[in-house]
Amino acid sequence: MLALLGALIAPLTAGSAALNDQEADALIGRLAKPAPATISFTEVRFSKLLRAPLIVSGDLGYSGPESLDRRVTAPYREQTSIRGESVKVEREGDKPRSFALKHAPELRGLLSGFSAMLAGDPVALRKAFNVEMAGNDDGWTLKLTPTDTKARRRLQQIEVNGRHSEPRCFSMTTADGASSVLLLGAASAEPVAPDVTLIALQRRCGSGQGS
Amino acid sequence: MKLTRSALLLLFLWLVLLAGLTWFVQRQLQVGTDLRLFLPSPTTPEQRLLLEEIGEGPASRVMVISLEGVAPEQLADASRTLVENLQSSPNFRLVTNGDISLDSVPDELLAYRYLLSPTLDERPLDQKYLHSQLQERARDLASPAGAFLEPWLPRDPTLELLKVLQRWQPMQEPNRLFDVWFDREGKRALLLAQTRAAAFDPDQQRLAVEQLNAEAERLRRDEGVTLTFSGAGKFSVMMEERTRGEATALGTAATVGMIILLLVAYRRIGSVVLSALPLASAGLAGLAAVSALFGTVHGITLAFGFTLIGVAQDYPIHLLSHRHATRSPVEAARELWPTLATGVASTCIAYVTFLFSGVIGLAQLACFTVAGLAVAGLTTRFALPVLMDPEGRDFGDSAWLGKVWQGMQRLPRPRWAGVVAIALSVAAMVFAPQPMWESDLSKLTPVPKELLIQDQELRSELGTPDVRYLLVITAADTEYALQKLEALDAPLQKLVADGAISGYDHAARYVPTAEKQRQRQARLPEPATLRADVDAAVKDTPFRPDVFEPFFADVEKARRLRLLTVDQLRDSPLGVSVEMLLTRHGDEDDKAAARTTALVTFSGVQDVAALERFAAGSGVTLLDTKNASETLVTHQRIKILWSLAVAAVLLAGVVMFALRRASRVYRVLAPMALTTLLIIGILQAAGVSMTLFHLIALILAAGLGLDYALFFEHAADDPMEQRRTLHALLVCSASTLMVFSLLALSSLPVLRALGLTVSIGVVSNFVLALLLTRPTPPAHGT
Repeated sequence: MLALLGALIAPLTAGSAALNDQEADALIGRLAKPAPATISFTEVRFSKLLRAPLIVSGDLGYSGPESLDRRVTAPYREQTSIRGESVKVEREGDKPRSFALKHAPELRGLLSGFSAMLAGDPVALRKAFNVEMAGNDDGWTLKLTPTDTKARRRLQQIEVNGRHSEPRCFSMTTADGASSVLLLGAASAEPVAPDVTLIALQRRCGSGQGS
Repeated sequence: MKLTRSALLLLFLWLVLLAGLTWFVQRQLQVGTDLRLFLPSPTTPEQRLLLEEIGEGPASRVMVISLEGVAPEQLADASRTLVENLQSSPNFRLVTNGDISLDSVPDELLAYRYLLSPTLDERPLDQKYLHSQLQERARDLASPAGAFLEPWLPRDPTLELLKVLQRWQPMQEPNRLFDVWFDREGKRALLLAQTRAAAFDPDQQRLAVEQLNAEAERLRRDEGVTLTFSGAGKFSVMMEERTRGEATALGTAATVGMIILLLVAYRRIGSVVLSALPLASAGLAGLAAVSALFGTVHGITLAFGFTLIGVAQDYPIHLLSHRHATRSPVEAARELWPTLATGVASTCIAYVTFLFSGVIGLAQLACFTVAGLAVAGLTTRFALPVLMDPEGRDFGDSAWLGKVWQGMQRLPRPRWAGVVAIALSVAAMVFAPQPMWESDLSKLTPVPKELLIQDQELRSELGTPDVRYLLVITAADTEYALQKLEALDAPLQKLVADGAISGYDHAARYVPTAEKQRQRQARLPEPATLRADVDAAVKDTPFRPDVFEPFFADVEKARRLRLLTVDQLRDSPLGVSVEMLLTRHGDEDDKAAARTTALVTFSGVQDVAALERFAAGSGVTLLDTKNASETLVTHQRIKILWSLAVAAVLLAGVVMFALRRASRVYRVLAPMALTTLLIIGILQAAGVSMTLFHLIALILAAGLGLDYALFFEHAADDPMEQRRTLHALLVCSASTLMVFSLLALSSLPVLRALGLTVSIGVVSNFVLALLLTRPTPPAHGT
């Protein structure tokens, strides 16, 4: 769901030099935010089953390493709570649906990436992912590839774009090519066209790094 | 000890015969362990079902397994490995840890989803429904569940398979972590394993238990995981081991004690060895008789049988103690024979009544004992004397025995004591607070309480069905049974809603009736209609119109499927659940006699009264297994008590026939009758409720009492003979008392019941025989 093909297709911002591990760790450290943290998001999901991407927005509430809430407020209301290993999705007028995090490696990837970044913990991040970093403080890109081969069979990679200590985009690509882009914070405020393409979104995330 | 040529020949023949019997027994004998052999044959369908339930019902085959000790994620992994390991083993039919996923459904069942799901009962698969479903799916796709639903959507846009899987889940779902069952605290991973063998098949259960123990060892060593498991099968293995262990230890102690006692009494190794021959012959003859007549012998028959024929050791003791300075052992045997034969015959006749008790285990026991005692008696009379050394101590010369006899002569014979004893015993029977009879089957082989509590706790975490209450539905065939179940479903759901039960399970939850499947099948749209409807429905959704080809293919396939039958499902993982809930009886050829029994199991029964009202209102049988088993035990007891009454009459008849004179008959029978009353009184006063095994022990004690009384009665006025008799009876009663007081020490109720009852019986019989039967001293006249 939250994956981002863009990370694959879109070239990294030209000219941005690869950062070494120390610089990357320093940057990750700066991303730390005390829990609980809430951030607004707009998610754009692409699928080969779809003519146009699905766009939902709302906010993400992070209250600890094993606890994430995803509230969708538009165009309908839906609440997803992750508690430990169980995921519960409740939508208005529908029976709640529960499933195990195991079935959604994308979600687990997002959760562990999110947790490690909000904790500013590069060690934890490196435990779950191979981390590559490019760009500079004004515009950086973190490329996260799952270290676990089993997880890699489902989740190909996560790319995080950001500026200073603000992550702006979270793009995930699943192994079968489906992808979704999560615009975070200020980046989610700008409207997204209903027929937006992955490349356009990618550019928008990358454009944040601009200069 | 010198033996003549003919004696040697006899010994040789005897040993050859024993060897032959051993060979026969080894070839023929099969030891069974099904406790149901000791229950009466069922007379009603409920009782038949109950016996099936006790031994092989759904609950009895299930073992609950818990894993703990490491982090939940590792526990979940260990749980999955365990499922893989056990599932491939021949000891287990089904092992589940709750891990059920879309790809766990066998491929050939996938297209059946439209016949299994209730969706089509409420609405057609038309444009309107498809449109609302596609809109839901778009939202699903944008939700965190999207990634794992996405591959399924082209094939199953209405998520029918999920609906079917949800229906198949237990109603009371255990907690899940990392996709597998956990307890509420998330500290223990839980699994259910269904053994292939029935619970009361300890030999097969042992294999399953051993495999689980090996897995536990592996998990502990490799991963630091503690595996515990529990279930009727484990308990039956455990209890059998304990019984066997204690019986062996006590048996060995008794044998050693017996040998020492005999050596002390007779001071000759040769005599002691010879005196074992009748008992050995008795055991082998008993085994041979049972295996010839019954084929399989129950383990309890063996254990009990050997205890009961242990009495046969008394016969050679009488012979040895009556060794005569002037008469040969053959003559001595001839002289003892009327007395000995009366004892043997009457005891045998008492046991014969068990043959007609309707309880196979008891019939086996009777057969074993009668054959054994008869052989022991006959060999003691006809073979043993020939082999005995004619020289030896004559106990008639013993000075101290003479003194003891004289002392006994002077003992008072207070008749009032007898009256008081009778009054006290009757009072104990009337006023004892506990029920006179134990009706709870489980009390016979009690499992340690803490294990039962642990078992109960694990089962309630997993929401496994209650063992006590079941709905029983009998129908002519499977389809009728399913129809009845389907009709019951709505009221059952109401019971859940009302909180009377927390869940239920029946076969129609898994396999709908053929009628219902046919209805659903008829509602599936034609290919062209479906295509048009999907095209129209897709229009204002984000979906592409050309991705649903697999859906069209599956619906078309479902339209042409042969309806799903229970048989088809039998080989799938679900087959086990269905099979446990739906049993077909009767042979295949005779359709008229065939019938199907369907069960509705309950979990979390809160309101039994509501269940009873529901059963009465819908005309089905609510089986209370506890009640039914108690009724069964009561019936059994009535039958056995009748057997006992007949036995008593026959026994008295034999004694009367042998002794002729009323005063002699009274003197012989009085101690035995009084002892029986006393034993019951003492047990009641001590707070013991009597079981089947107490009754068997009562017969044994009565047999002993009869022997003692007969021999006391037999002791004529000749002081030498009196001393010999006294010696024999002292050795007999001391040895029997030693053996049974050892059994009374056992921690197992069955052995304790036997030991305690017979120990009291030996003492009481001996004392009473001494007081009531012994010839009155000449001074007082006869």
